[in-house]
Amino acid sequence: MNAQVLALLLRPAPGQGAVLALPATAFAMVTALVLTVVGGAQKFWSWTDPDAGLYQALAAIALVLLVVPLATLGGAAARLSARRRDERLSTLRLLGVSPAGVTGATVLESTAVATAGSLIGVLGHLAVVPLIGLIPFRGEPLGAESILLAPLGVVAVIAVVVLLAGVSAVVGLRQVVISPLGVRMRTSVPRVHWIRALLAVLVIAFAFVFVQVFPGTAGIVITITVLAGMFAVALAVLNLIGPWALKIHAKQGLRRAEKPERLLSARLVLESPKAAWRQVSGIAMTSFMAVFAGTGVAFMSTMSATESAENLALAADIRTGLIITLVGSFLIVAVSIGVNQASSILDQRELHRSLHFLGVQMTTVDAARTRAVMSPLLFTALGSALCAAVLVFPLVGITVITAPLSLLTIAAVVALGIALVWFGVRVTRPLLGTAFQPA
Amino acid sequence: MYLLPARFRLQTDDMPDADDEAGRMNTPVLHAQSLTKTFGTTTALAGVDLTVARGESVAIMGASGSGKTTLLHVLAGITAPDAGRVTYAPAAGAVVDVTGGSERERSRLRRESFGFVFQQGLLIPELTAIENISLALMINGTPRRAAMEHAAGWMASLGLGGMEERRIGELSGGQAQRVAIARAQVTGAELVFADEPTGALDSQTSTDVMNALLWSTTGQGRTLLVVTHDSEVAARCSRTVRVRDGHIVDAAVSA
Repeated sequence: MNAQVLALLLRPAPGQGAVLALPATAFAMVTALVLTVVGGAQKFWSWTDPDAGLYQALAAIALVLLVVPLATLGGAAARLSARRRDERLSTLRLLGVSPAGVTGATVLESTAVATAGSLIGVLGHLAVVPLIGLIPFRGEPLGAESILLAPLGVVAVIAVVVLLAGVSAVVGLRQVVISPLGVRMRTSVPRVHWIRALLAVLVIAFAFVFVQVFPGTAGIVITITVLAGMFAVALAVLNLIGPWALKIHAKQGLRRAEKPERLLSARLVLESPKAAWRQVSGIAMTSFMAVFAGTGVAFMSTMSATESAENLALAADIRTGLIITLVGSFLIVAVSIGVNQASSILDQRELHRSLHFLGVQMTTVDAARTRAVMSPLLFTALGSALCAAVLVFPLVGITVITAPLSLLTIAAVVALGIALVWFGVRVTRPLLGTAFQPA
Repeated sequence: MYLLPARFRLQTDDMPDADDEAGRMNTPVLHAQSLTKTFGTTTALAGVDLTVARGESVAIMGASGSGKTTLLHVLAGITAPDAGRVTYAPAAGAVVDVTGGSERERSRLRRESFGFVFQQGLLIPELTAIENISLALMINGTPRRAAMEHAAGWMASLGLGGMEERRIGELSGGQAQRVAIARAQVTGAELVFADEPTGALDSQTSTDVMNALLWSTTGQGRTLLVVTHDSEVAARCSRTVRVRDGHIVDAAVSA
């Protein structure tokens, strides 16, 4: 494919501004969030005193918590960018362009959009740094200058985001089956087997035995390594059970569905429980941590009469870190879901138009897609929170009585996060509305 | 049947030849007067008059850009004309001004009284065949079990028995189009609008789909309006209307 044809293909078509702006915005968000999170963590690693290890371990856990939703968001942005090409790709195939040429054009565009988005993200990061710098840790604000990454670090983050966009574009193209007439066929539902639950139980049993034999007097490095390992195991178990649990939940919803929107939403989840899980998986671990760590911190704060000032400050710092992680995680998931929804709406534009012709109200379709997001989200968030509450049951009981305000704060942040995700779906409503406008 | 809002209802004087109940079967089911519609500087409809009798099958033919799809959309209340009026006379109840009322009311009219079949079927890929059909009833408030039973009956009638739980991607083009026909008919729509229903099918499948479409509409005393490029499809309709540059230039009764 020569440069002139490539330039013609990459030229934005009239009316496609929003389609380009959406992934660019998502990439900007990803870059800004990664820079902010890594920048914040950088400050923790600058400490060298004896307590620094604990802060660094907690920061590492927070980073692990944010990696999953960030990767999901990056993937969603890249898929949205690649989908824009579907129709033109079919035309290219008809014109005799090789699959490699088609892939090249798509990857080039996705990376161009990602680069533009990332550069905007850097500006966004610079804009929020003064605010993030005000957050207090160890009795003093973090400071804006200590959060800023070195120029090489910024370039590295941009490179990773652009690389992610390119890889996701290639993977996305492989997943989208395009016939020469551009008809995308979805012939079979991907299977999610119960064997996942069995595997998860085996992993939990192994982890339980491992914890029993682990020496209680191990050094800090070993303890942190084991803690990180346990965290990875917990994530793996959640990823094994999650899609299967969502499938069972959606199947129950399907059986009970009496209203069209309920039928549609259950089927939307069952279409790909793995995709539904990918959207909300970041919330599962965050919600688990919110209750688990939130209860612990609340419990620590009730011991003010006996605890030292250092420990009280540590409890306050952990609470601050927990709330930041919760807000960050929900924010990323909300943006990710917004991007996924926008992508899906653009993909199904013709179908929505036909539903409008049939007299179906936009509110019905809107309710179905909102439910298809919120139902797995609530199931995941509340399910994970319940699991954590069961694990620390006696502590929850004590803190409900002794420190209800601390627990209420965590609950309020989780509720706010859920509202944020709902808002992520809601902002794409005008885009859906364009298919339902009278001709 | 759903009772339309008062501002939708018209006096029967608005429709030609509507004197008594017995004569209602000969009454035009659809009547369009002086329809005009422009998109920017393009005139899609330039004063179109058309009357469709109950139980008739009318093929609308014309070159690309002649205005035939716009005519179908205006007749069905999807697109509002710049001028002119379309009236619909249901078998029971007052005459309805299709071009009047709000978008919400027109949507309700389409949902409850009209059926649609599109070129690509445009079925919901996540739903099974039977769910796609029963959804049309559920949207109108029919309980799911009753909707599914009714949908299953239509599937059996159209030779789709045993395919209820198949997803749309698992059906052939002809089977998917018959599901779309069942969806258009399951609500008891008196008037079915089809836009190139056989456009994406081979000739044998096209014949089968037209058989199903005609049997389920005119074969049941209902009315069919079909936009087509295919002269063989048009030949199977009771009347062909040719559109050119936004005008009806010819209306012939098939032999």
